[in-house]
Formats: sequence, structure tokens, C-alpha cells
Amino acid sequence: MRIKVNGEMYSPGAETPTILDLLREREVEMPEMVSVQLNGRFVKKENFGSTTLKEDDEVEFLYFMAGGAG
Amino acid sequence: MKGFSTKAVHGKALRKDPHGALRFPLYDAVAFEQPSARDIQWAFEGRKPAHTYSRITNPSVEHFEQRINLLADSLGVVALSSGMAAISNLMLTIAETGSNIVTTKYLFGNTYSLLESTLKPWGLEARYIDMEDTDQLRRSIDHKTRAIFLEIITNPQLQVPDIEAISQVARAQAVPLLVDGTLTTPYIFKSKDFGVDVEVISSTKSISGGATSVGGVIIDNGTFDWGNCPRLEESAGKYGEFALLTKLKREVYRNLGACLSPHNAYLQTLGLETLGLRIDRSGANAQQISEFLETCRKVRSVHYPGLKSSRYHERARAQFKGKFGGILTFELESREKCFAFMDGLKLIKRASNLNDNKTLILHPASTIFCEYSSGEKEEMGVGESMLRLSAGIEDVVDIMEDIENNLAVI
Repeated sequence: MRIKVNGEMYSPGAETPTILDLLREREVEMPEMVSVQLNGRFVKKENFGSTTLKEDDEVEFLYFMAGGAG
Repeated sequence: MKGFSTKAVHGKALRKDPHGALRFPLYDAVAFEQPSARDIQWAFEGRKPAHTYSRITNPSVEHFEQRINLLADSLGVVALSSGMAAISNLMLTIAETGSNIVTTKYLFGNTYSLLESTLKPWGLEARYIDMEDTDQLRRSIDHKTRAIFLEIITNPQLQVPDIEAISQVARAQAVPLLVDGTLTTPYIFKSKDFGVDVEVISSTKSISGGATSVGGVIIDNGTFDWGNCPRLEESAGKYGEFALLTKLKREVYRNLGACLSPHNAYLQTLGLETLGLRIDRSGANAQQISEFLETCRKVRSVHYPGLKSSRYHERARAQFKGKFGGILTFELESREKCFAFMDGLKLIKRASNLNDNKTLILHPASTIFCEYSSGEKEEMGVGESMLRLSAGIEDVVDIMEDIENNLAVI
């Protein structure tokens, strides 16, 4: 299965991975601080374990600390 | 870890220091290099939790934010250059032209000025009500109301609003409850437990550790659905509970440049470690001073929530875990008597600040509220014969001696 993670193609290890699986597999930094978007929509933390990913899904891991600079 | 002070001293850093420093170091740097072009791209896009530029994020500031977050048991914290920066950034993030904020005239003078002189010309209406009247509060809210805003202990009136009653109205109308908790801090008032959605604090006061530095924080308790706020609707769709914090960091806070300096963050993180000790001491001093002042015939009235004579005593006891803060006010016969009293003081400092380690005194009507007319000051509960005293952490016997000596000669 191929999905997009933070704009880049990625093949998860599991056949039907959840967002929680993906967070662990990608060793996402500071998971308690991350916002997850699936196909442009916010996913609640309590649904990470039950939200299954499918082919061509687009996942974003985002942090509120970001912002850019001069 | 259960205790407030244990958390304040031992709270874990978000990231490990490479040298194992027991005190999180001061990163007095502007910019941070990334390993690759893609890393810096991701940092800018918010896809990587990396520091890029200290106007946006800085390790020492982040550490301070995380420590406040732990103590407040909140969703997230943004630290800013002052308490006023915290209030103005918050207002500009949640409100837009044509909207309104329901508040009270019992506000810090500069907050009132922000609403009336700075934000009103941009089209933000402030509706002033009596926060003791929840029916009036309910009637004042309409579809353009973006928040209810008030102080947990009002400065300098020392009114203590019923936060649970107000939060019930806010909850029923799907309007966020924003409070200024400068005079309480999470040590004596855990705003989340009383239905507050967002708390701002001037960390210049108790948190800085004795007037070491200027700063402020915005604490999002994570209890409000920001999808109900038109200006944050889009952000809520993308970032959910982090909508307010993201909008701040990626737009308003970034663009206004109201960042806390790393040096101040370092000092204030240190200040947090002794916050409980200092609040307990200044509170005990304020209690003794106010009880003493009540017995003085030259003192017309004394206001301190810790006094049994205060109409807010029982409410304050319930809301603040039996603590009442370090600020009290008292009235003498006239402005002239107030000035004469202040001028004779030897130990107590004539200065405009609160919760310093030193005891401070101020005549609010001629200072913080000097730009307002007599009528406005009356509406704001600031009388000409009122003095505000911020109890420090000195030995109370010395503070009392200074007060007693001066009362004798005016």
C-alpha cells in the first residue's frame, strides 16, 4: 500500500495500518504535541488507534510550534 | 509527581539536554541550523518540531511553556513578551471587526485602554456588564460575541467573580471563557477545574520570581471547540483542539512579534520553582497586614479576600484552596492623606508592580488610571482615597512597623 506522509510517498509496514501504527513506525517526535490530518481533516487523538489508512491516503503530522521566520 | 512545587522543580524537559544539565540551559540564540534543506522546509511548514528562529520558537522559551503547561494541566501554552501582549494577541486571534467581547469595567487599567483606545477603532466592541449578574451576562451575549473576559481577582477592586456560574453561561452559549489569572496563578487557582477555557497571566508578577523580568503566557485548557469561533473555524478543521495555539503561533503571535526573550524565559522558569513558597509567604503577610489595618481608626476601609469582612471571602476560599493572594487595598480620608502616607514610608516601595518580593504601594487613581475622568474611575471602582498594597515576602513585623509609623503621623 502506498500513502503520502507529509507530502512524500510512503509504504507502511502493516497491511492495514492505523494512524497510531504509523506514528510508532515513523517514530514521530513528541507524539503528544502532534496534530494529525488525514486527507486534510483533523483526526482526534482518541481515534488514532481506530482510524485505518487506505491506498492513496494523505497524512500530515503537524506541530503548533512552527511558523517560519525572517 | 502530585505536588505543585515538586512539578515546578522536577518537571521533565521536553527534550534531553546533551550534557545532562540539571537546570535547562539558556539558549540565547536567534537562529538554529537544520541538518538539511528539507528539514528547514518541514520546520517552516510545521511538519517537524524544530526551532528555527527565536521570534517564533526557542528552546528556553519552549521549556518555560512546557513547565507552565504541566502546572496548569492544560493543552498548550504560548509565552509572550508581557501580560498585555498575551491579552492583545489572544483578542486579535479570536475576534474580528464587528464582533464583541463581553467583559466588565473592573479591569486592569491598561486592559481597559486596550479595549477602548486600541481595539475599538478596529471595530471590536467591548460590552461592559456586572459579572455578579449572570442574567445580564446571558442577555449580553449574541451571535457576534467571541468571548467572555474577566479577571479572577480584579485589580485593584479585588472583586472575586463566581467563575463556575459564569462558565456555565459561557458553556450554554458556546462562547469561550477567557480569564486573566495574574493574581492567582495555577498555584492557587486551577482554571481548568472551574470551566475556564483560556487563561492569560502576566508572568512578570508572581512567576518571575521577584520582579526579575517582564513576560506573559496564554494557557489553552483545551476545553473549547474552536470550530465555534468564526475566525478559528478553518484552523479547527485542520488542527482540531490545537486551533487557537496554531493560529497564534503560525500567524498572530508570529506577525506581531511579541515573543518572550530566552533570558526572561530562563529567569521565569527559575521563578516557577519558588512560586508556591513566595505566594504562601506574601499571602500570610497580606492577611496579617489587612487584619491590622482593619483595627486602625485612620483607615476607612480595607479590602482583602482573606478578611472575613470581605463579601468575597467564602467564594475566594472555595475557589483558591484557602489562599487569598498578596494584594490588598485600603482607603484613607483623601488623596492627600494617601500621598502623605506613601511619602513617609521607609521600607515599603512606591512602585507600580505586583507580587514583587518587596512590599509595594501605589495610588491607582493617579497612576494606572490617571488617563480616565473621575466618572470613569468611579465606574471602574477606583477611588481617590484608595491605596493598593502588594505584600512582599519580608518579615511581616517590619512591614507593619513601617505602616504603623506612617499612620501615626498623617
